[in-house]
Amino acid sequence: MVTTTEHTQSYPGLPTESPLGAPLDWAWLRGARSEWGVRPKPGPRGLTMLDIAVGSYGDVPEHPGHRSMAPRGADVGDDTADMGYILNWKTDMWSDNVIELYEEAVGRQWSATRDIPWGELRELPADVEHAMCQLCTLLTEVEMIAADLPAKWMWRMNHDFIEAKMFLCTQIMDEARHAEVFRKRALANGGGLLVSRAGPTSLLRTIIEAKTYTQASALLHLLGEGFVLDIFRMGELIAPSDVEKRIFRMCMQDEARHVAYGTMHLRYAIDHDPDVAEEIHEALDHGEQVLIDFGTAPDVSTALAVLLAGGVEHVEDKGFPLSMELTKKQLTSYLARCERAGLGRLDRTTIPLDMLGIDTEPIRAAGTAAPR
Amino acid sequence: MSGAVDTVGFFDALATEMNDHPERFAPLGEAEMTVDVVMGRPGGDFRVRVAFESLGCTGVAEVDGQGSPGADFGLEGPLEAWQEMFDDVAAHGRATGPYTINSLALMGDRICCRGDDPMGLDKFSRFNQTLQEFLDGASHLVVGAS
Repeated sequence: MVTTTEHTQSYPGLPTESPLGAPLDWAWLRGARSEWGVRPKPGPRGLTMLDIAVGSYGDVPEHPGHRSMAPRGADVGDDTADMGYILNWKTDMWSDNVIELYEEAVGRQWSATRDIPWGELRELPADVEHAMCQLCTLLTEVEMIAADLPAKWMWRMNHDFIEAKMFLCTQIMDEARHAEVFRKRALANGGGLLVSRAGPTSLLRTIIEAKTYTQASALLHLLGEGFVLDIFRMGELIAPSDVEKRIFRMCMQDEARHVAYGTMHLRYAIDHDPDVAEEIHEALDHGEQVLIDFGTAPDVSTALAVLLAGGVEHVEDKGFPLSMELTKKQLTSYLARCERAGLGRLDRTTIPLDMLGIDTEPIRAAGTAAPR
Repeated sequence: MSGAVDTVGFFDALATEMNDHPERFAPLGEAEMTVDVVMGRPGGDFRVRVAFESLGCTGVAEVDGQGSPGADFGLEGPLEAWQEMFDDVAAHGRATGPYTINSLALMGDRICCRGDDPMGLDKFSRFNQTLQEFLDGASHLVVGAS
């Protein structure tokens, strides 16, 4: 490593005081204790955060020696203010894919104003419009938890983990856009926001009140967002027109990033501190119960079933059976991600797997998948 | 056009279509994924691996039937199902209704999305619209089975 100390000239004759008599500090010019001349090269995409993770700048410490907002790699003064961070271990929030996910998030932003063909909305049967507005009411409500939760914890994260904090900033932007797009859809086609009941609120409180960030991440990224991701995937069947399909597809891409971060954060945390697995299990023991209450809440399940059936007429012979299939997919995906994260839940969960007809073999296989 | 859908030439043509028109993919953003497309047909399945990087398609190669590792996920279905999908793309300029790759993989009864690793499978969702735009490139080609 070449430091600025070794690479700078002495610049003799510089003043020691400003014209107003204030002392001047030329340490940044005469030689700081930081790496100089790393010259990262841009790749085909430009200069990415992965490209600049070189030399000492790419070393993310397991446990930073200070708690200031000084950028990692800088020459930090001893008198720098302590920001009072409480998440000071890399295992507290890191994931091995977080830098890649940050770049992906920045590169795949979209606009709920511009990128949805709002002008193509057409009048829908009243029952379908009501169901769509009810689903949008719910999604507008629950999406913002995935902004509030990282916001609650980010200012507590040590600044040396800047890439993780930057990724969480993109998640907050994503969720703002999701709340925006579903609120717009509720209002844009002659309907409006409909009912908000206790079921979702219980889930949201469980997430926001989690005692540790890692528990919160398990509840939010793995459980809650994984559940919503599958609703977005089902948008192909739920959406009454191409406008809603477009909304669900765009949101799906964002949501999958958040799930990917959470899954690999939990994996990282457990790999480096196996004891943390039990506290995550405890959070999910409770979270799964609350999620089932949320998923079976009468207002949520009926709106989804009506959309899946294309109206109230076939809600019983088509809507509810398809809704059951959705539930199976959601729970299968969730349990597979748990395995991938190093959290085998199959022998612990109280979800009635047999009753739901969930095949556990592919779920177990996910735990032995090669890392990517 | 570069031949039937169950040929490397066809996927090469889709790759060229993508790489010649970055303006279609730029609004969707960069993508990083490797996909195995498997078309079941009498006499042996056709398997092709397609790699995406940034705004382009960086590789198309036929792979053997052992499911060689390296792909994030695989999309598998009978040749007829793929042909119907590309026919729909050709007829409408893009996949519609049940013929979008997300719809087909969601139902899973004709074309399914497979993979051992949930992280790989989730890339199907993360880069879904890029993959769809790539497949929609067939609207600029004439398609048929070999």
